[in-house]
Amino acid sequence: MTTPPAVTNAFSGRGSGHLDRLRGASPGLVLAWLVIALVVLWAAAPALFTEYSATVGVPAEKLRPPSPDHLLGTDALGRDLFARIVHGSVHSLSGALVAVAIGLVAGTMLGLVAGSIGGLVDDTLMRIVDVLLAVPALLLSLSIIILTGFGTINAAVAVGAASVAGFARLVRADVIRVRRSEYVEAAFGSGGTYAAVLWRHVLPNSLTSAFAFAALQFGSAILSISTLGFLGYGAPPPTPEWGLLIAEGRNYISSAWWLTAAPGLVVVAVVLSANRISRAVGRSTP
Amino acid sequence: MSGTSSFATRRSLLVAGLYALSLASLAMAAPALAQPVTGGTLIYLEQQAHTNLYPTAGGFYPNSGILNQITDKLTYQNPQTLEIEPWIATSWTVNDTLTEYTFKIRPGVTFSDGTPLDARAVARNFDTYGRGDKSRKFPVSEVINNYDHSEIIDDLTVKFVFKRPSPGFLQGTAVIGSGLVSPATLDRSFDELGDATKIIGSGPFVVERETLGKELKLKARTDYNWGPARLAHQGRAYLDGITFIVTPEDSVRIGALLSGQADVIRQIQAYDEPQVEAQSFLIYAPSTRGVNNALVFRPDNPLVADARVRKALLHATNTQEIVDTLFSRHYPKATSVIASSAVGYEDQSARLAYDPQRSKKLLAEAGWQPGHDGILARDGVKLELSIYESLPQPQSKAMLQLVAQQWAQIGVRLNVLNADSGSIAVDLLDPLKTPVAHTMVGRADPDVIKSNFHPANRDVLRQKGGLSDKIKSFVDEALNGRLEAIAAETDPEKRLALTREVQAYIIDQAYQIPIFEEPQAFAAAPHVKGLAFDAVARPSFYSTWLDK
Repeated sequence: MTTPPAVTNAFSGRGSGHLDRLRGASPGLVLAWLVIALVVLWAAAPALFTEYSATVGVPAEKLRPPSPDHLLGTDALGRDLFARIVHGSVHSLSGALVAVAIGLVAGTMLGLVAGSIGGLVDDTLMRIVDVLLAVPALLLSLSIIILTGFGTINAAVAVGAASVAGFARLVRADVIRVRRSEYVEAAFGSGGTYAAVLWRHVLPNSLTSAFAFAALQFGSAILSISTLGFLGYGAPPPTPEWGLLIAEGRNYISSAWWLTAAPGLVVVAVVLSANRISRAVGRSTP
Repeated sequence: MSGTSSFATRRSLLVAGLYALSLASLAMAAPALAQPVTGGTLIYLEQQAHTNLYPTAGGFYPNSGILNQITDKLTYQNPQTLEIEPWIATSWTVNDTLTEYTFKIRPGVTFSDGTPLDARAVARNFDTYGRGDKSRKFPVSEVINNYDHSEIIDDLTVKFVFKRPSPGFLQGTAVIGSGLVSPATLDRSFDELGDATKIIGSGPFVVERETLGKELKLKARTDYNWGPARLAHQGRAYLDGITFIVTPEDSVRIGALLSGQADVIRQIQAYDEPQVEAQSFLIYAPSTRGVNNALVFRPDNPLVADARVRKALLHATNTQEIVDTLFSRHYPKATSVIASSAVGYEDQSARLAYDPQRSKKLLAEAGWQPGHDGILARDGVKLELSIYESLPQPQSKAMLQLVAQQWAQIGVRLNVLNADSGSIAVDLLDPLKTPVAHTMVGRADPDVIKSNFHPANRDVLRQKGGLSDKIKSFVDEALNGRLEAIAAETDPEKRLALTREVQAYIIDQAYQIPIFEEPQAFAAAPHVKGLAFDAVARPSFYSTWLDK
C-alpha cells in the first residue's frame, strides 16, 4: 500500500515534461520499448532470468510441457526452452547489430561518395546498387553465406551486405539535397577542404533518414538472421539461435507445439517492436 | 499365491475373450482378407528425392524405394530365412572354388521396352556392374567382388567367371544394387540416369512420368508374370499404380497419413510413433541387417589417430541414453559393428560399455590435459572435433547434439555442422575437416562390413588410396586383409568366423562407435495390406493391395 504514492511522487518530482511525453506516447510504443528492453536484458544478463543451461539438458526430462519448473517446457534433449530463448537473444541481437552496422557504414560511404562526387562515379555506383536491389535480399544473403561458410557472424555479414544497397540509395538522395544547400556552398566558399566539408556539414545532415532506416532494418535483420538459422545456414547446433530453435521445434508441432510457437512469437514480438520504434523515430525527426 | 493365480486366470479369461472376439472379427473380415483386390493407386510419401538411379546406386533409401518396384533381380533373398531363392534365374550352379556361377534364366521375361531379358542382357548387366564403365562413368558395384567376365552359354544360360573366389556373389545377385535393366538403359551414360523414365526394368511397375524432385508416378505392367517363385502371389501387381510424392517435412508426412491423404510413408520418427499407433495405423520397422548406425573415425586426422583417444570417445558415448531419449523400441541399442539380425553377428557389448572414468584415464594417458576452458588440450591443440549432420539417418542432428553433450563431460568438444550438400561432399573427403562421420549401410551378407570399410568401396575410414586424395598416410592393411579374406573365403563356416573376427578387430581399434541397429521405419494406413520388405528393409509393393 505504500508504493503507489511513491510512484506518483517520483513522477511529479521529475517534472511535467517527462510525464507529458509518456502520456503522449502511444501504449504500443511503450510496449515496443519494453519488449526491446527485456530482450536486451536477456542478452546482457541471461543468468538473471534462468538458472538452466542453454546447451546442456537432462535427457531423462525430455519433451516436458510448460510447467512452473520449465516455463516453456523442454525440448527433445531435455533442455529448458525458456533458457534457450533467453540465452539465444544475444546471438540474434548481436547478429542484427552487426548486420545493421555493416549496412549503415558501407551504405553511407557509398551514398556519400556517389552523391557528393556525382558524374561518372555516381552513375557507376548507382547502377551497381540497382543490380543489388534487383536481387532479392534473401537470395543475396544465401549466395554470400555459401561463399563464406556457415556461422552466426557470417550470417550477420551476409544479411548486412544485402542491405548495403538500400542504405546507399537513401543516403545518396539526402547527400544530393544537402550538397546543393547554401550553407555547404558557403563552407566551400570559406575555404574548407572537400573532405572536411563532407565530414562536418554534409554527412551529419544526411543521416537522419538513414538512422530511421537502420532502426527498421534492425527488425528485418533479426528476421533474416532467424530465416538463415531456420534454413540451417546460421549458428551450428547446439547454439540456441532463435531461427534454429524454430527449425528444431517444428518436427514436434503436433505433440509439443510450444517448442516452435514460443521462439516464433518472440521473434515476431521483437521484429514488430523494432518496426514500431523505427516508425516513431521517423516521425519525430524532421 | 492364490491372488496371483486368480489374477492369472482372470487375465487368461480376458485373453481368451479377446481372442474369440478377434476370431469373430477375423471371420467377418475373412472374405476381404482372403481375396486381394486388384486396382487402386497407392500414395507413397518419400522423405527425400531420389538421386541417380543407376542400379548399383540403389543403396540410398529413396532410390531403392523406386528401383525395387521397377527392376527384378536374378535371385530372391527370403527376408525371413535369408536363403537365396529363384526369381529371374530358375536355377544355378556354382563350382567348388566359387569362381564360376552359372544361371539358367526364366524364359519369356521381357523388359518394359519389349527387349527380351535373356542371357545376353544379364551378361551385359553384370559385366557393367562388375567392371564398371569409365567411358559412361558407371562405378563398380560394391556387392560384386573379384569379377572377371561373363560367358553366354545359350540364349537362357549365362556363366560368370571370377578372378578369385567370390562367395558373396550369389547373395549379391539378390540385392537392390543388382536390379536388371534393359541394354537401352546401359547404353546411356551415368549422368542421364537421374531421370527415372530412362530406367527400363522388367519389374512389376514401370515409370509413367516424373516431375523431378517432386513426384513420380508408376503404373503396373499388366503382362508381368515373373515374380519370385516362392511368393503366393503371381501375375500382375494388385495395384494399378503408385504415386511417390517427395515430402521432406516429417510433420507433413504424418499429418497426410493420419488424415487419409497418403497410404504409406517412409521415415517416421520415433517421437511420432505414439500418435500413429494411437489411431491404429501400422508401423513397420524392418531391420536393415547391416553395419549399425554409428560414428566412424577418420584416423588420418592426427586428433583421432591415437587408438586411445578413439577408445575414450567410444566409452564416453552413452548409447543407452541416446536410444532412450530419442528413439523407441524399434531402434535396438547396437551391440556390435553389425546388427544382431545380420549374418555373422557376434555380441561385442561387453567392450562397448559406457564408462566415462575409463575415458578420462585413457585420454590422460594419451597426454591430453584439461585447458582453462575445460576442453582437453595437448601441446596447445584442443581436442575439438567436427561432424556433419547425416540427412538420411533418423534424427541425426539431435543425436549428434546429445553425443556432443556426452563428450563435453570428458572435455571433448564436438561441433555439429551443417552445410550445402556440395560442401558436405567435399569436406567429407577431408579428414582434417571431418574427423568423425555418421554412417550406416544395410546388406544381409558378411560382405557388408567390407562394403563399409574397404578403401575400394565406401571407405568410411578414409584410407590412403581410397576415395579421397587428401589422405596423407593412414592405411590399415590388417583390416583390409581381413575384409578381403571375407570376400574370398569359400567355406561358409570360415567366412562367418572371419566376420566375427573383423568385428572384434574394428571394436579393438575403436574405428567405430556403434549406436543403434537402424531400422527403416514406415507407417501405413490400416487399409494397406500385403506390404512387404526385402531383406534390407526396402519396400516392395508387388503384393500390396488396398482394402477400401
